[in-house]
Amino acid sequence: MRVDVYTPLLLSLLLPAVSPVIGRRVAPALAARVLTAAAVLTAAATTWSLVLLATTLLGSAPSVVAEAREDGQRLADPVPAAIGIAACAALTVVARRVHRAVRTERATRRALRRLAEGHPADTELIVAASPVPQAFAIPGRPGRILVTSAMLGALEPAERRVLLAHERAHLAHRHGALVTAVTLATAADPLLAPTRRAVAFLVERWADEQAAGAVGDRGATARALARAALTTCRTRPACALGFTDRAVTRRIAALQTAPPPRLWPVALAVLALGALSALCAADATNDMLALLTSVLF
Amino acid sequence: MAGTDTHGRAERRSAGELESEVLAALWATERPLTPAEIQAEIDGGLAYNTVHTILKRLYDKGLVLRDADGRRGAYRPAKNAAELTAEAMHEALDRGPDPIAALQQFVTGLSAEEERALRDLLGGGAV
Repeated sequence: MRVDVYTPLLLSLLLPAVSPVIGRRVAPALAARVLTAAAVLTAAATTWSLVLLATTLLGSAPSVVAEAREDGQRLADPVPAAIGIAACAALTVVARRVHRAVRTERATRRALRRLAEGHPADTELIVAASPVPQAFAIPGRPGRILVTSAMLGALEPAERRVLLAHERAHLAHRHGALVTAVTLATAADPLLAPTRRAVAFLVERWADEQAAGAVGDRGATARALARAALTTCRTRPACALGFTDRAVTRRIAALQTAPPPRLWPVALAVLALGALSALCAADATNDMLALLTSVLF
Repeated sequence: MAGTDTHGRAERRSAGELESEVLAALWATERPLTPAEIQAEIDGGLAYNTVHTILKRLYDKGLVLRDADGRRGAYRPAKNAAELTAEAMHEALDRGPDPIAALQQFVTGLSAEEERALRDLLGGGAV
């Protein structure tokens, strides 16, 4: 218990550290999936470890300890009370963050549903007559693609096909669900924030690769991204502030080289990280149950 | 790229996807388009008959208007629903960074240096 219970915390430092590298080297579809799976496992294990640490406060409750001593057992409390209290405080923060993240997700869904109102159910493309260049996928059944008239007007015919194929890939591969999962994992375990950013970037890369495959032209795909980004910038003052994570440039650069390999061994290693934290949490649970049993009976 | 190749790819696209492409082409321009003009405008060589069928379906759904601006046989997109959607979208955007910012948008911001690099990529032409 002493080691196991802290291991998930340690692993939630390791996973974000390797995430950006995985994101650059491994095929985006594979990388996004394994990073999300590992993040969800690690977040669940970390939260559970906090629960276990908080539970040790029960174990050191005076009456229980007194009783245990009467039995003549020497109770070795493996977790100092200060850590138990800290775990309780951390759990409160986690609960509040997850609650807020769930509320935001719901608000987003509601706002998106409103955007699809008034359009025929069997139509994939929803156009918004707006001078602001904008395009995004609306997940759901059926999924929709929202594009503004300004964005459509700015692109060449081949580039419009790239845009549609890109958004279609988001819907077909349920990228919304993937990003929601990693967002909730990050809400529970803020240390995973770099992994969330990596996955958010990777689903864009994934959709870019799908679009390049659909139109059969990586160059046209890169040009579509460039033109969309420049058009968006012209109308949005935020662009001039240099507030950017260079995401578009990195996506375009990736399209100008060959698609990255799938690299299964690396992907399996990432999954093993997640599995390891889950195993440690399970092992720590066993130790905890044994400890509680020895105290109470 | 061989013509048959692009044609073959067009055939593989579903009816729903082709509808999106025709609708996107109509929205991309200010003026009404005839089926022949749409055919030329759409990348990937669609048959004239296919364009016609798709236009009929879009018309039946009320997404396009026929004989627009007194031009016989020309189509333009119906604006009503699109304007309402734009209003709803701006309302959602104005409410703050969430919830639309949480979406996966096609592209995000650029720095000045990146902007120059992208202009070079597009051949320095007006964008």
